[in-house]
Amino acid sequence: MLSFSKSYHYLKSCICFLLIFVWHNQYAQTDLFFDAQRLCNEKKFDEALPIIEKIIIHPETKNDPASWHIRSFAYIQTFKQSLLSATDKIYLLDTAMYSALRSMKLDTAKAYIENNNSFIKNGASSYYKLSIILLQDSLNSVKSEQYYLNYKKYTSIFDPSFDFKQKDINYFNTTGSTFEDLYMRNNFNQKYGDIAKYALLKVLDIDSQNISANINLGILYYNQGATLMRMMDYDVDLAQLDVIQENAKKLFKQSLPFMIKVYQLDPKAEKALESLQGIYSALLDDEKANEFKQKKEALNKK
Amino acid sequence: MAFSSLSFQQQQSFDPAAKVKAAFLYNFTKYFEWPDKMKSGNFIIQIIGTNTNLNQELNKMASSKQVGNQKLEIKTSTSIDASTQPHIIFLLSESSDMLKEINSKYKGKGSLVVTEKNGLAKAGSAINFVVMDNKQKFEYNKNNAVKAGLKTGDGLNSLAIVID
Repeated sequence: MLSFSKSYHYLKSCICFLLIFVWHNQYAQTDLFFDAQRLCNEKKFDEALPIIEKIIIHPETKNDPASWHIRSFAYIQTFKQSLLSATDKIYLLDTAMYSALRSMKLDTAKAYIENNNSFIKNGASSYYKLSIILLQDSLNSVKSEQYYLNYKKYTSIFDPSFDFKQKDINYFNTTGSTFEDLYMRNNFNQKYGDIAKYALLKVLDIDSQNISANINLGILYYNQGATLMRMMDYDVDLAQLDVIQENAKKLFKQSLPFMIKVYQLDPKAEKALESLQGIYSALLDDEKANEFKQKKEALNKK
Repeated sequence: MAFSSLSFQQQQSFDPAAKVKAAFLYNFTKYFEWPDKMKSGNFIIQIIGTNTNLNQELNKMASSKQVGNQKLEIKTSTSIDASTQPHIIFLLSESSDMLKEINSKYKGKGSLVVTEKNGLAKAGSAINFVVMDNKQKFEYNKNNAVKAGLKTGDGLNSLAIVID
């Protein structure tokens, strides 16, 4: 059994140790923050990140906008160091954006508002670039659209009044023409044709008079009909031949309104005249096909 | 933003109407029996008139298909070729006024005469292509086929617009 004096001494030592521990721990967190800051300044982001991860979970610093701000900075810089096309590193960008938003939320004094906005702007731009890069990779069209939506989400944060109409038109027109080309180059793979159609119809939802989307949709439907005919064996029995003709006819007819729209918007568009000649010819309407052939020839004479 | 202009041009070199006619012509060979003397040598399809796309399509077909043991041979001309005894004579629209002459020259000799102008199945061709509801159909006059020296059953009746 301990004597009173021994017990008192023991208790005093414990309290003293506890105070030192608390003080040191608090000091240590501040210390960690400065360490992280120093490493970031030295561009040693790999070393900074594990320290930052400790800072953002510590009770003393987890609600400090500075902690999330430095985290956003470090992640966005690490993301920039990786290849933009390395989509497996996208979590770095996602984390940077999440951290910037968290910092903004905690930053009631608006001390970091300018930098956080800059991070968000930077990240939005990276999402946009990624969405375009991924369009070239036919397997990632869904991800591409997801990143494009991220671009819009973050752009709305730093510029709430931004009008996305033209950007949407450009993005979905690019998607449409990219997949239409893939459709052609991959033996008329229906999957690519459907993605192109989806994107081009989105453009027309925004702007029904968009010439590029109308002409590409007209071509797409025509090509799908022509593909049915192209793939048909000469040996096909006559009953089946009638079914194929019927299905192709439906697709040729679907292509017509888009191409007529282009012609109405620009009666001198040679592409529309040539396409209408082709579509009417496929519909075995020689009179109409000839009408557009003559219009095209008259245009070329001028 | 560029249009997919190339795409349409690539497909435009393919003529759906020509492909359908080629498939029809190939199918007709299954429904008729030609005289014995025409069962050897090449199976000749004679086109009278000019249709570049059809000509290309038929030659493509000839490179991959044959009729029984006979190789397909496509001949084109703008007038009757007296030196040839074709199995099928396809008289294009522009050459329709030659139908009477062809019928008198080839009557009973075993040439299936195919045309593509309204009313010609009544005027002497065995088969006449017509367009109905934006689709290629054909009229069939069995009497004219028999007069041409071909044996045939009634198999085509259910698939054609029958002309008596």
